[in-house]
Amino acid sequence: MPVKRKGSEAGKSAPEVSSNDLGLPLDQVRTLIDLLEERGLEEFELERAGLRIRIKRRGAPGAPPPVFESYISASPNSTPSAATARSPEAAAGAGVELPPGLEDAHLIKSPIVGTFYASSRPDAPPLVRLGDLVEVGQVLCIIEAMKLMNEIEADAAGEIVRIYVENGQAVEYGEPLFAILPGKKQ
Amino acid sequence: MFRKILIANRGEIALRIICACKELGIKTVAVYSEADRYSLHVRFADEAICIGPPPASESYLNIPHIISAAEVTGADAVHPGYGFLAESASFAEVCETSGISFIGPRPEIIRLMGEKDRARAEMARLGVPVLPGSDGVLRTVEEARAVARQVGYPVMIKAAAGGGGRGMRVVMKDSELPALLGTAQTEARQVFGTPDVYIEKYLPRPRHIEFQILGDLHGQVAHLGERECSVQRRHQKLVEESPSPAVTEEVRQELGNKVVEAMRAIGYSNAGTIEFLLDEEAGRFYFIEMNTRVQVEHPVTEMVTGLDIVKKQILLAAGERLDSLVTPGLRLRGHALECRIVAEDPDTFRPSAGRITAFHMPGGTGVRVDSAVYAEAVIPPYYDSLIAKLITHGKNREEALARMARSLEMFVVEGISTSIPILRRILADPDFQAGHYDTHFMERFTRQQVTV
Repeated sequence: MPVKRKGSEAGKSAPEVSSNDLGLPLDQVRTLIDLLEERGLEEFELERAGLRIRIKRRGAPGAPPPVFESYISASPNSTPSAATARSPEAAAGAGVELPPGLEDAHLIKSPIVGTFYASSRPDAPPLVRLGDLVEVGQVLCIIEAMKLMNEIEADAAGEIVRIYVENGQAVEYGEPLFAILPGKKQ
Repeated sequence: MFRKILIANRGEIALRIICACKELGIKTVAVYSEADRYSLHVRFADEAICIGPPPASESYLNIPHIISAAEVTGADAVHPGYGFLAESASFAEVCETSGISFIGPRPEIIRLMGEKDRARAEMARLGVPVLPGSDGVLRTVEEARAVARQVGYPVMIKAAAGGGGRGMRVVMKDSELPALLGTAQTEARQVFGTPDVYIEKYLPRPRHIEFQILGDLHGQVAHLGERECSVQRRHQKLVEESPSPAVTEEVRQELGNKVVEAMRAIGYSNAGTIEFLLDEEAGRFYFIEMNTRVQVEHPVTEMVTGLDIVKKQILLAAGERLDSLVTPGLRLRGHALECRIVAEDPDTFRPSAGRITAFHMPGGTGVRVDSAVYAEAVIPPYYDSLIAKLITHGKNREEALARMARSLEMFVVEGISTSIPILRRILADPDFQAGHYDTHFMERFTRQQVTV
């Protein structure tokens, strides 16, 4: 059952429903459509014995241009030697999985290209640890770019539920750094 | 020699540079925007770094992100390709101060040639013919009339701050001058905020001819002959060829040597192109501008010289000597043509972005395709519309033309509109086939198409 997340910018037009199984109860289809709307999914496909259902959202007129994606797979050529070598699939937040059960978590992504530091000085403790509660505006890490130390702040309050990168690792634009689960801050 | 090169570009030229690096045994770093995640330059580079969102201003033109990407990957050189930052003197400077080699000329040379009036004055000083005209801004009708008479009609009045055809007026005879000067000044003030205009000789039917040059870091410069790029629409080149049907071997060597002398005098290094207008009747060439980078149409020169210009750029930037890379007394071999296949509507000429559903490239003897697209690729709307360059080489122009005609016929792109149909019609045009064309060819050609 492939579920493709193609970005949620497309317009708020009514989903188009196509099913080859007329026996499917209408309320189940409605539930699916609601789910699609709710999660900002553009396309949903379900296939099992004797049934195939595909729900696709049509871009509204005047909506932003379609999100561009294509089917070349991850770079098999890339030699994962340097810390920076990684497949483009994993890069820049494409297809990043939020921890199970924490789908509501908020991702902090790198706004710049550079080197990730968990602490403000080499001998200092990390600015944040897994399980820490953070506030909006709190410095989470440092990214060094062109000899400048850039403080990366939290833009949501909550609990740090995942740290995606290691100290000293190179990060690219849009790469996930932290997942924050909102609403846990007292 | 460099160990790792970062390619600060996208599309076919990024892939072209990756090819050269692979053949030289140099590692590559691709940078890409979020719109280019699935592009071939990302796939074929050894490493890839996302540098920003789709708009070029936030990714391919983002100097801090690109320099930072070079630093975190340990790249020791940057190849800028063409477009984007290729002719940014400040980018070349930042590379230099960050200890990264910029594959191109020195920043001060990029800056000099980027300022069109300074470049023109410098070339004139070095004995390269420039279009005769006024030395500076003209204010009164009397001043303008004196220059126009001296240069000879027709003349062109141009806005000093201008570009893109705005504020330009062609004056055919003396009596028209006062009125047209006034109009040009008014338009210049409205469009550019200053009424400053100057006068240049107007060539009614010029051909666009450019010389490819290479220079090393030790004061040596050589030319690789010329290319003709007169088939243009709104200053966008559509078809290029080398050699030009309008240039003889004597003229090639004479003008080529003048160009080489001038480039040696300014200390030019790496690849560059010097563009001229040719007044065919008078047999005179006039310098218009210099491009301090690799050109889109460099493959036609590669085909007739047998030299890999991108590889030479890398070797020259690493300090190799020109005489070890280019044999003196180089002769052009056969004839080469290039057609630019762009994603655009053949009637409205609007860019045609979208998904390519079927893609077939022609092949066979004497055919080369430089492209970074594939079946199922998506052409994003954010960048230029070039999707492929089709290049053919033959023992003479006739053979190169026949190869181009059959290759265009065998080139299949479905899902988006392309310039292939119009290119096929150009190739079938008797004037083009005979080599009788100039920069107004497309205007006449589109008019004819309407009447047919």
